[in-house]
Amino acid sequence: MRLQIEDVLCTFCGCLCDDIRVEVDGGRIEKVRGACRLGSSKIMGHSRIKSPMIRVNGELREASYEEAYRKAAEILVSAKHPLLYGWASTTCEALKKGILLAEEIGGVVDTTATVCHGPSIIGIEEKGLVGSTLGQIKNRADLIVFWGCNPSEAHPRHTLRYSSNASGRFIPEGRKDRKVLVIDVRETRTARNADRFLRIQPGTDYEMISALRMIIGGKAESLPEDVAGVSRKELVEIAEMMRSAKFGAIFFGLGLTHSRGRYKNVDNALSLVSELNSHTKFVIMAMRGHYNVTGAGQVLAWSSGYPMAVDYARGAPYYNPGETSCCDLLSRRDVDAAMIIASDPASNLPRGCVEALAEMPVIQIDPFENPTTFFADVVIPSAIAGIEAEGTAYRMDGLSLRLRKLVDTEYPSDVEILQAILDNVRRLRDDN
Amino acid sequence: MIIKGGIVYDPANGIFGEEMDICIENGRIAEDAGGEVIDARGLLVMPGGVDAHSHIAGPKLNTGRIMRPDDSRMGTEPRTGVCRPSTGYTVPNCYAIGYRYARLGYTTAFEAATPIIEARHTHEELEEIPIVDKGALTLFGSNWTVMECVRENDMEKLAAYVAWGLRAARGYGVKIVNPGGGEAWGFGSNVKSIHDPVPHFDVTPAQIIRALAEVNERLRLPHSIHLHFNNLGRPGNYTTAIETLELLKDIKPSRMRQVVHVAHMQFSAYGGTGWKDFESKASVIADYFNQTDHATMDLGQIIFGPATTMTADAPLEYANARIGHQKWSNHDIELEESSGVVPWVYMRKMPVNAVQWAIGLELALLTKDPWKVVMTTDHPNGGPFVNYPEIIALLMSREKREEEMKTLHEVVRSRSTLPSIEREIDWSEIVIMTRAAPARILGLEDKGHLGIGADADISIYNIRPDEIDPSKDHAKVKAGMSRAKYTIKGGAVVVRDGEIVAAPQGRTYWVDAAVPERDMDRMLSSLKEKFERYYSIRMSNYMVQDAYLSNPFVVRAGVQPLKEVI
Amino acid sequence: MRTITIKLPQYHGVPVEAERISPDVLSGLSIKEISEIEVWQGNRRLRLSDIFLISGDPDPDRPENTRIVLEGDLSKVKRIGESMSAGVVEIIGDAGMHAGNSMRGGTLEIKGDAGDWLGREMRGGRIIVEGNAGNYAGAGYRGERCGMRGGEIIIKGNAGAFLGEHLCGGTIEVMGDAGDFPGCANQGGTIRIHGHAHLPGAEMVKGSITAGSARVLPSFAYEDIVELGGLTYKKYVGDLVENGKGELYVASGQIGK
Repeated sequence: MRLQIEDVLCTFCGCLCDDIRVEVDGGRIEKVRGACRLGSSKIMGHSRIKSPMIRVNGELREASYEEAYRKAAEILVSAKHPLLYGWASTTCEALKKGILLAEEIGGVVDTTATVCHGPSIIGIEEKGLVGSTLGQIKNRADLIVFWGCNPSEAHPRHTLRYSSNASGRFIPEGRKDRKVLVIDVRETRTARNADRFLRIQPGTDYEMISALRMIIGGKAESLPEDVAGVSRKELVEIAEMMRSAKFGAIFFGLGLTHSRGRYKNVDNALSLVSELNSHTKFVIMAMRGHYNVTGAGQVLAWSSGYPMAVDYARGAPYYNPGETSCCDLLSRRDVDAAMIIASDPASNLPRGCVEALAEMPVIQIDPFENPTTFFADVVIPSAIAGIEAEGTAYRMDGLSLRLRKLVDTEYPSDVEILQAILDNVRRLRDDN
Repeated sequence: MIIKGGIVYDPANGIFGEEMDICIENGRIAEDAGGEVIDARGLLVMPGGVDAHSHIAGPKLNTGRIMRPDDSRMGTEPRTGVCRPSTGYTVPNCYAIGYRYARLGYTTAFEAATPIIEARHTHEELEEIPIVDKGALTLFGSNWTVMECVRENDMEKLAAYVAWGLRAARGYGVKIVNPGGGEAWGFGSNVKSIHDPVPHFDVTPAQIIRALAEVNERLRLPHSIHLHFNNLGRPGNYTTAIETLELLKDIKPSRMRQVVHVAHMQFSAYGGTGWKDFESKASVIADYFNQTDHATMDLGQIIFGPATTMTADAPLEYANARIGHQKWSNHDIELEESSGVVPWVYMRKMPVNAVQWAIGLELALLTKDPWKVVMTTDHPNGGPFVNYPEIIALLMSREKREEEMKTLHEVVRSRSTLPSIEREIDWSEIVIMTRAAPARILGLEDKGHLGIGADADISIYNIRPDEIDPSKDHAKVKAGMSRAKYTIKGGAVVVRDGEIVAAPQGRTYWVDAAVPERDMDRMLSSLKEKFERYYSIRMSNYMVQDAYLSNPFVVRAGVQPLKEVI
Repeated sequence: MRTITIKLPQYHGVPVEAERISPDVLSGLSIKEISEIEVWQGNRRLRLSDIFLISGDPDPDRPENTRIVLEGDLSKVKRIGESMSAGVVEIIGDAGMHAGNSMRGGTLEIKGDAGDWLGREMRGGRIIVEGNAGNYAGAGYRGERCGMRGGEIIIKGNAGAFLGEHLCGGTIEVMGDAGDFPGCANQGGTIRIHGHAHLPGAEMVKGSITAGSARVLPSFAYEDIVELGGLTYKKYVGDLVENGKGELYVASGQIGK
C-alpha cells in the first residue's frame, strides 16, 4: 500500500527542512518530493552495510551483533584513551548514550564540528553570538550577507526557505525586498545571484572585518587607501550597505572559519555584528553542515558544559580544542582506539589523521559503507536515523525538531547499539 | 519510613518548630508508616525547598555554557558510582543542577522562561536534571498571536491560544517578559513605558499584561501570570513597577492565590535618574505590597562574584553588554520573543552593586507578610542558587548584615534603608519564603508542606533550632543549610550527610487547560495561516511530543464549564 | 639545594598528565613518597614510579631549595611545573603541553621545544625555552579574559600562533618568528619578537609589542619613527577597533604588507 507522509524532516544539511513529502510502499521509500537533490538522494539511501563484521587476520568477516558488541566493548575497555567521534548525522538520543559510554570508559567525545565550525564555536567563546532563528530573518531581513559560503551548492533550499528568496511579514515581496551581498575569494553561484559581490584575497578576511569595524565605528579616515587589495572607497560602500539595512543577517561558512585566521576571523565578525547593533539590527549565523551537528553541540553542552572535544579520561569533563579535539588527538597519536559513528573520517579528515586511525583499533557504527569501513576492525550496521529510527535533531539556528520513523527496519538504532556496547562494557568490568 | 524526633517547621499547617515524627508511605506523608527509621532527634526538619523562579533549562542555558567554558571549568566534580560528572558555577551542567539543589534540601525547581517554539529543547534539558521535580513557564509577552488577539480584544481566542501554547510547550504557566519589547527588539528598538505602543502591532504593554492576566484567570490556571516588568534593570524603574501592579488590582483571582507574581523584584525597585544617583526604592515597593493583596514577588537577590545574566529581555542584555564591555549573545525567536545572555560580575566596591545587594534584602525584610515573598537569586542572573544559604543567614542575622556592609561601598548606607532594619527572619518565615509560599504561589498543592497526603519531599539539616541562635550563629546556619543532613524526595533518601546517595528521575509538571471547541477551532484557523506564511517550521512539527516528558505530571485547568478538547 | 631527578625511560604515545611534578609538591616528600604521587595516562591512574625512574637527594627541603631535573622524551608529558611558586624545574629535552601552567614563581627551563600553552595563565616566575614553543604560549584558557598576568617567558627559537593571547601582564621575548596573531587582545603585557609577526596586537587595548618585521592590521594608526635600544622602529597605536592605546613597534613592514 502506498502511503504519503507529510512534513518529513530532511536529514542532509543544517537547514533541516521539515516540509518534505515521502511516499512509502511496502516498507520502502519510493519517492521524495520537495527536497533538494542532496536531500533527496540522502533520504533515498544507498549501499547499506548488510551485517556486522569483525576484522580477523586483516579481513572483515561477518559476525553476529552480539559478537560485534562484545568485540567493540573489548576494544574500548582496553584502550587508555579512546576517541568517540562523529555524532553529527545521528540523533541527540544517540549522543546521550555515547556520552554515558564515554564517561564510563574514560574516553573523548568529539563531533564533526571539529572539521567545520569548531573555530566558530571558539570565536563565540570570545565574544558571544548575536543571532536569531531563521524565521526571524525570513520575516525581517532586508540585507542578507553570505560570507565565505555558497548555499546555492551546499544548502540548496536555504535561500528559498529562510533567506534571500523567502518572503515574510515585513518582506512581503521576498527577493525584491532584500539586498544580497556576497563576500568570498571566488565568484560562486551564490555570488552571481547577489546584488553585490566583494572579492577578497585568500587569508585577508580578518583585515577586511577590522576595516569594516573601523568604518562602522566612525574611523574610516584612519584606514589606508588600500586594505589587502580592496579600496577604502569600496569598503565604505559595503559598510554603508550594512549600516543602512533595517535588519541585516550575515551567514558565514568554511571560507571564513578555515582560511588563515580561523577562529579569529569569526571572533572579529561577531564583534562587527555586535557593533552594527549600535546603529541598526544585525544578526549572524554559521552555515552548519551536517543536519544535526548543532544538536551534537547542544547535547554535549548540557551534559558536560562544553560543546565539543570533551575528554572524560579523568572522570570529570575537560575541554580544550587544539588539545582534546579529534584532529589534534589523531595527528599527535594521543588516542589509542576510536569509535566512529555516523561519520566518515577517512574521507573528511586530513591525511595524517586518517593514517593514525588506520593504525589503531577502530569501531564503526553506520548504516552505510564508506571509506572508513576499509580500515575498521568492528563494523556495526545501524538503522538510518530520521528514516528508520526517530529522535531529535537541531537546525543550524538551534531550533530542535523531532525526526520521525518512516519505515520499519531489522537494523538496531544507534541508541540500541550504544546501549548494547555499554552493557558489554559493564559486563567486562564486572568480570575483571 | 519514619522520621523521628525532628523539630518540624510546617507553617502551612500551623506547625512552628514542634518536636514530632513524620511518616511516609508510597512517596507521600501518611498517618503512620513502617520501614526505615531516620533519627532526626533535635534536628531542623522542613518540607523540601521549592524554587519558583530559576533558569535551569533551555536554549539560553546552553548559550551560556557554550560562551563560557571559563565558567564550566569551575565547580568540576568527577563522576561517582551514583552521580554523573558536574561542571560549572553560574551555568552548571544539567546533572550539577539536580545534585546541587538536592544538597541544599531543594526538591522542586521551575524554569522561568521558555519560548513555545524552543520548548522541546527546554524539556530535553529538564529530562537530564536528576532528582528534583520541575516545570517550565511559557513566554507569551511578545507573541504575535497574543498581540493580535489583544488588539482585536478577543479574549476567547486569546484563552484558546494560551491553552494551546501551554500544551504545545508542555508548559506550566504564563510568563511575560518586558511585554512588547521582545517584538520591538526584532528591529532593534524597545518599548519605553507600559503605554508605549509596540511597533507594527498597535497594542501597549499595559494592554498585553492586562489581557493575559484576565485570560489566566479565565483559564483557572494553577499559577498566576508571572511578570518581568518593562524597564527592568533601569534606574527609576520602581514607578513602572507600581504603575504595572496598579493595572491588575481589580482582577479577581480564580483560585486562592495572587493575581500576579512579580519576578525578581530587586531588579525593578530602583530609584534615581541614572547610575550616578541610583538608589533603592525597596521601601516604597514593600509598602505597596503591604497595602495590597493581589501580588507576590521573588527577590532576585544578588550575590557578589560571578553571575551569568540571561533573559528574554533582549534589549536589557544589549545594554548590559555595552555597560560591562562583556561578551554578548542575543537570540531572537520568530513570532514569539527575543533573548540575550551576558556574563557578569557583582562587585562589593561597586556602588550600584552594593545598593542592589541591599535592595533584595530590604524587600524581604520590609514586606511584612512572608507569604508574599519567595527567596531567589533569579539564578544565575543575580548569582547561582547554591548561595541560598548565604541569603538565609543574612535574613536571619542583623549582625551578619552589618559585617557584610562593612566590606561594601559606603553608598549602601546612604542609598538604602538596610542599615536601619532590625528585623531578623525566624525559621518559620524562612520555611515560608523557601517552601510554603513558592508552592502556594505556583499552585502546587502537594508541595511546600507536610500535611497528610503531601509529597514526601523533606529536608533535614544538621542544625539544632533549640540550641542555635541564628542571629549570632549565622556561620553555622549557612554551613548547615549548605549541606542537608538528609534530603528525601518522593519518599526516597537522595542526600545523606550532604552527599548524593540516589538520583531518581523527578516529575515534570505541565498544565492542560480546556477551552470551548469553537474558540479553539477559530484560533487554530488563524494560527495555521501564521505557520504557512511566517513560521520557518511546519505546524505539525511544532508541538513538544510526549516522548520528551518521561515522567509527566499533568495539572488540569480550563474555562468553565470544563470541557475537554482533543 | 636538593636535586630530584625524574627520568622517563621510554616514549609514551598516550600523553601523561603530571601536574604534581613541581617543587611545591615534591620538595617536602621523601623519594619513596615521590614515587607514589599520582599521575594519569589517559584514563589510567598511575603512580609516578610506574612510568618514571626517580632518584636524587633523599632529604626533604623547602620548594625554593629544590631543583627537579627531568630527562627523556617528555614531549607527551603535560602540565610539568603547574602552579609552581619557587625552585627550579629543568627539562632536558622537549616538554609536553601546558608546562608551567599557572606558574607563580621559580624557574622552568626547557632545553628542547615546548608544547602548546606554555605558561598558560602564568602569574610570576621565569620560563626559558632553548628551542621553539607551540601555540598559545603565555595565553589563557578558552573563554577567559586574561592569559598570562605576570612573570617572564623567553623563547630562543620560534613561537607558534596566538602568542600571549589575552595577555594581562608580564613579558614574553621571542628570538625567532611568531605565528599568527601574537599579542591579540593584549591588556597590558609586553611582547618582543625579534623575527617576523603576522597581524600582531589584534584588539589590543594596552601594553606593547615589538617585532622585527610584521604585517600590520589596517586598524592601527602609524605615529612616528622612534628609536629603541639603538634601532629604529615605526610606531603604531591600536587596535583602533577597540579604541586601544596599545603600542606596536615594527622595524620593517607595514599595514597590509
